[in-house]
Amino acid sequence: MKTPIVQPAPPPAASVSEFIATFAVILAVIAALLLFDTALARVDLRTRKAFAAREFRTGEQLLAEGKADQAIEHLRNASTLDGESSGYGIALAQGVLADGQPGAAEQMLLPLLERDPSDGAANLAMARVLAKEGRNDEAKSYYHRAIYGSWPSAAPESRSAARFELIDLLARTNAKQELLAELLPIQEDSTNDVAQRKRIAHLFVVAGSPSRAVAIYRDLLDRDPRDADSYVGLAEAALSLGDFATARMDLVAAQKLTPQDSASLQARVILTDSVIALDPTQRGLSIGEQARRTRNLVQMTLASVRSCLRVQAPEVAAGLDSASALLREGQGQSIEQSLLLAEHLWGLRRTRCTDAREDGALALIQNRIAQ
Amino acid sequence: MPAIRLGALPPRLRKLVEDVRRKEDRLSLLLSLVIGALVSLVVIAFILLTGRLAGLMYPAGGSGWGRILVPTVGSLITGYLLFKYFPLARGSGIPQTRAALFMHDGRISLRSVVGKLVCSTISLGSGIPLGREGPAVYIGSGLASVIARRLGLSRMQIRSFVPVGGAAAFAAAFNTPIAAVLFSLEAIVGDLHAPVLGSIVLASATSWIVLHLVLGANPLFHVPDFHLVGARELGVYVVLGIVGGLSSVAFVKVLLWLRARFARLPDASLWIQPVAGGLTVGLFGYFAPQVLGIGYDHVERVLNGDVILKVVIALAVLKIIATSVAYASGNAGGVVGPTLFIGSMVGASVGAAAHLLFPASTAGPGAYALVGMGTAFAGVTRMPLTSVIMIFEVSRDYTIIVPLVIANLIAFYISRKLQKEPIYEALAQQDGLRLPTRISGAPPEMLRVSSATRDAPGSLAPDTMISEAAERVRDSVFESWPVADDLGLLGMVRTRHIAAAMDQGRGEMTIARLMQIARRSAGTRAVDLPHVHNDQPLSRALARMRDNGHNVLPVVSRANARIMLAVVTFADILKAYGVESADQLDYRDHPDL
Repeated sequence: MKTPIVQPAPPPAASVSEFIATFAVILAVIAALLLFDTALARVDLRTRKAFAAREFRTGEQLLAEGKADQAIEHLRNASTLDGESSGYGIALAQGVLADGQPGAAEQMLLPLLERDPSDGAANLAMARVLAKEGRNDEAKSYYHRAIYGSWPSAAPESRSAARFELIDLLARTNAKQELLAELLPIQEDSTNDVAQRKRIAHLFVVAGSPSRAVAIYRDLLDRDPRDADSYVGLAEAALSLGDFATARMDLVAAQKLTPQDSASLQARVILTDSVIALDPTQRGLSIGEQARRTRNLVQMTLASVRSCLRVQAPEVAAGLDSASALLREGQGQSIEQSLLLAEHLWGLRRTRCTDAREDGALALIQNRIAQ
Repeated sequence: MPAIRLGALPPRLRKLVEDVRRKEDRLSLLLSLVIGALVSLVVIAFILLTGRLAGLMYPAGGSGWGRILVPTVGSLITGYLLFKYFPLARGSGIPQTRAALFMHDGRISLRSVVGKLVCSTISLGSGIPLGREGPAVYIGSGLASVIARRLGLSRMQIRSFVPVGGAAAFAAAFNTPIAAVLFSLEAIVGDLHAPVLGSIVLASATSWIVLHLVLGANPLFHVPDFHLVGARELGVYVVLGIVGGLSSVAFVKVLLWLRARFARLPDASLWIQPVAGGLTVGLFGYFAPQVLGIGYDHVERVLNGDVILKVVIALAVLKIIATSVAYASGNAGGVVGPTLFIGSMVGASVGAAAHLLFPASTAGPGAYALVGMGTAFAGVTRMPLTSVIMIFEVSRDYTIIVPLVIANLIAFYISRKLQKEPIYEALAQQDGLRLPTRISGAPPEMLRVSSATRDAPGSLAPDTMISEAAERVRDSVFESWPVADDLGLLGMVRTRHIAAAMDQGRGEMTIARLMQIARRSAGTRAVDLPHVHNDQPLSRALARMRDNGHNVLPVVSRANARIMLAVVTFADILKAYGVESADQLDYRDHPDL
């Protein structure tokens, strides 16, 4: 049962022709406005984007000049004018990071990552922020997201750059296992890029896998036997492997190929010579010479530990004195025992000394002994 | 307008046009779509032109002197235009729309629509810190009114299309179609249950679709996802509600106070008054360019966490003063935009302070800026529902609802306690207009049928003879009697019909037969069982009596319409309204009657 409450409205007073004419005019106005608005919107969008791009370029330039505080304002303008472009937001965050505000940069990147969690560039920027804040584990995670994320253009190059940043972080933090894990997948990626292969080879040495580095350098030398850098790299790998004689030969070969770098290479040759002269594990030495070198090594290690721990840990000094006494008294102890003592002392130095500087020749010999 | 020869139209098209023209529902549907599209396109043009003009007049990085000069000259030009040609285009547009709706049967002239468009474009384009939403609503409502009048619609229909245009305009100006519907109902009509709801929804949706067609799916603000760190954070939103409410009251009071002062100045100075606003804004803009214009770019920055505590506090204060002076001095533009700007700055201030004190347990200031916009809107316009939906639509994030509702209601409550009238009603009152308010518009205690019922008389059975029935109803005060069988109520029979049947010697006829004859003679207007329910308003009972011709109606159960609970009579309804009917008067007290 339905009761009408409101009386139906009368038909419009306008005649049918007026009715149609009115609608025709309205539709014509709508069509005209649609064209006008669309054109205006395009012009507006183009203007905004152009202005945003200009501001972005200015900001990037200032950032490159180290004027982060001035760059931020321009990058902020770009980001506001073209909010759709995550690139501007990322650049702004990087500017803020360069200005020493990692917390603010992190806050700016969070919305961008919420909008697109797979954005490679945003993840890379966030990784940089976190690395700057010392939150290395989180940074590594974002680096991985950047490596496997989406990149609108030049994806392989961008991914590779992100991976190398991660590799640098891992090298800096001495995370050798993770470093090796990152290096292995890209070992074969850059067959034709000589500079990148040299970099990878060097990083293999840092990651504690010098034999892989040797293989790369050998391959490079097969292609270009006059590549002095590869000889220097081979020497570095050989030193890491404890093959000091080979290292010297490689350095001499490099010296011959680049006489202009002779001074720096000569310093390395001298270092290698001193290592060879000190190395008690060298083949072909008489027992007496081995014992002398071992004793010399223990004394050098003790001196190094003393100089490093003197101020930092006076309580250890007494222990070192007793070690010295033992050394003096232990004329007859075996070479193995002396080497063991030297190794222990070196271990003490590595764990207790905040001074990261290592005595070149001594470190190389200790490394050889540890192998 | 060129005449169209109907003979040239194909018959089908001609029939279709005739159908649309004559059938109200089809006409409403068509007009809602057309108004939605047209208004959206006009408002988009308004927004884009305003933005382009602003970009040319005071570009980012422009000179400080330019920022003083441009608003001053802009306000001088608009002041002259408003004074000389478009006096109705002054101010926001919402009170003017309401005035047109309630005082002029929805009539808004095309001239004032054009004036509003031109003056607001110049005003906002020259950096006057007023909003575009109010003018857009006026323009939209005006266009709807013009179209309805052009089509020769009735006054009622013209009135009904005014909020339709307003909703379409708000949807296009703010990109929030649902909030636009509520805004139109709350701010313009003042009644959430208005019968034009369907048309308003349709126009708003159409407008939003057109907006997206032209400008793409870009939201008004790019807002990061909202995060509520923990339940304790709700305490900070309570504080935000309090601060937001107090800021809203401060804004409204300063604006109204200044407006009252300007109103005392001589009428001859009306053309120059807006310059006071323009100059003030220019001076502020010299030191803080963010004060100029609607400021949504800066709001977006703040929403995205670009907040320096001292700056946002200063901007909130400067914007309150600049907007108040600009509006009070008579520039063209609304208060919704500035309200949102102020709210975002206040919210960001509270959020930044909270984040400094409790960094681990609070979100960044951007989230508070977003909720702050809602609190300011709720506090200034007193439309908490529209506010909640609007911010929800802006953020598109469900998790914002609880903090938003808490902060909004607190701001609304504080505003209601400290500021008697909402801003649009107060502005209308300052202009001497007494428009129906959302409070006065609704009856405080609706009179219901239950307040006027009386016990039903014994019903007549359908097989009762007319002669017997005439005997029973002879001395009754009821003019209609209920007829019922064992299963319940069947209908009502008029006592005069019984008397007429008796006069015609039909005493042997049954009541059922008499009801059949009466129903047939009443034709299509006859209703089988006219009735009301206890919980219905008395006005509904009156309408039923009008439609059926009975001055007695059965009050029936909602569970079963054939169970009669009581009756309600016309005299009882009048008595419930406090009106004595003629038969209740004591004529001895009125000898002149």
